[in-house]
Amino acid sequence: MKFRGKITDIACLNHFTRVVTTISKLTKTCVLRLTPDHLFFILPGKVTNGGVGMWCQLLQANFFQEYQMEGVTSEVQEICLEVSPEPWSRALKTVQSAKSVKLKLTRKHCACLTVAAELPTLSSVGRVVTHDVPVDVIPRRLWQEFQEAGVPDFDVSVYLPPLKTMKSVVDRMKNLSNFLVMEANLNGDMNLKIQTDLVSVTTHFKDLGNPAWGDVSSQDGGPSQSRDPEVMAEVTVDIRKLQQFLMGQQVNPSKALCNIVHQNVVHLVLLHEDVSLQYFIPAVA
Amino acid sequence: VTMNCVIEGYSVKALGKAIHALSRIGNELWLDPMVKGLALRSVNSSHSAYGCFLFSPMFFQQYSLESASKQSSDTIKCKLVMKSVLPLFRCLTSIERSVERCHMSVSTATDRVIIQFFCRHGIIKTHNIHFQESEALQAVFDSHLCPNVLKAPARLLTDMVVHFPLFQEEITLSITPMKVTLRNYQQGGKGPMKTTFTEMSLHPNEFDYFQMGLDSDITFCLKELRGMLSFAESRSLPVSVYLNAAGKPVCFSVEDMVLEATVLLATVTNSDSRDHSQPTEPPTPKTPREHTVIAKL
Repeated sequence: MKFRGKITDIACLNHFTRVVTTISKLTKTCVLRLTPDHLFFILPGKVTNGGVGMWCQLLQANFFQEYQMEGVTSEVQEICLEVSPEPWSRALKTVQSAKSVKLKLTRKHCACLTVAAELPTLSSVGRVVTHDVPVDVIPRRLWQEFQEAGVPDFDVSVYLPPLKTMKSVVDRMKNLSNFLVMEANLNGDMNLKIQTDLVSVTTHFKDLGNPAWGDVSSQDGGPSQSRDPEVMAEVTVDIRKLQQFLMGQQVNPSKALCNIVHQNVVHLVLLHEDVSLQYFIPAVA
Repeated sequence: VTMNCVIEGYSVKALGKAIHALSRIGNELWLDPMVKGLALRSVNSSHSAYGCFLFSPMFFQQYSLESASKQSSDTIKCKLVMKSVLPLFRCLTSIERSVERCHMSVSTATDRVIIQFFCRHGIIKTHNIHFQESEALQAVFDSHLCPNVLKAPARLLTDMVVHFPLFQEEITLSITPMKVTLRNYQQGGKGPMKTTFTEMSLHPNEFDYFQMGLDSDITFCLKELRGMLSFAESRSLPVSVYLNAAGKPVCFSVEDMVLEATVLLATVTNSDSRDHSQPTEPPTPKTPREHTVIAKL
């Protein structure tokens, strides 16, 4: 099992650091799955993390100038590690000015993901920094948990309003209630609602637009054919989970949408140029 | 005995930064007005970290020391609780913006330190702080006896320590003729929680001055040093580092025409061997920080 990646382009380093930092804001630990073409940050939706699931996919060629890996066996070209993104993000943040940053799987006192950077200096000899971030190798027998959940059979798919706006709305609503209702319809309308004994607040978003999934979604050619565009699909979620998702976002995605399975789950999808992030928030029981 | 001084607006920030740096070291602040200037000192509870900022009379717009009697050996030795003083200088940006000058006076007669901020719009803020008479705080350190001396702009040292998280307590500094290395020090077995091991190294020629008498490997508390580094960087001062063998204190000092600042830190005795890949087993757990008493009261 081997992994070695090198980033020499400063924009790639910056971008990669921002991805890791975003992940670190969403979860304390996650699975890092490495394949010859991709890196995945995975949080399988389990009761232990409140049912929240996350799937983040990166095309390695968009970030690394050099990338070599050997999987657990010669047939299985994959490596799965349990990582703590926070120390990793901290390590990357300190080397933003580096001439080159190498990421490699090493074995020190335990398995580590080592960040090794060469920093610029006026001297003839460079400055070298290494951060050995401990990781756990995940045995193959547990890998079936880390398959892509896929797009759920949703009732409504809608584009999200600007994340910043959503965040400021949710931040304020959090002061009033622990639960928030997210609802949307095929007319491009979305509402965020909270209701308590004393007060109810609704923020309305209009003309958001609905993504055309076409044949991609379900076998009957998509829910849009039979569904009344005015009818809302709604999910009641723990407001802190939505807030955590919004807090982590640092860059405006090129596409941001949300698939709602009525009374079941909210599936948030953010697409950047070379990174896609999916986040599942289950309905409150 | 009384001391009276006036500090011009832009220098109040420097005084504030010195107090910030000392607050990272100890919970008490010693004020020692002397003929050669006003010294502010602090020491931590285990006496393993000591800081001293000496402001010469030239730093002040006015500086006077008066003795009731003619005995020049009469001095004021006053000790304040850091918590009473730090809040006055908490927000340096607002001090910079609004304080025009600061008057400080210490009087043994009243056991009070009076700090007055003369601010814009005619506002005067007066603070009376009670002090305890105390023996002066003294630290023993002879930099001439140090075999290893490094000197570098504060920026370089800041760039070295930036790689370590703010919660990192202790770090190990190793110097050889070919390499200067800084790495985090892990005390004892951390159990199931595995921590990141960070190491950074650079070439001695990055230092403005590098004198090596003996290879040394010292472990000291980084947290207590950060305030001083921040002070040095704010005044763009070069920092001199005096190192000795493990177990002997390490000294960091800066100076310019109007002030001198020194931080002395005890170092761990019997530090790990020089061969430093991550140790395969945790080092002797709970080795207390054995140190030389560096400050005497």
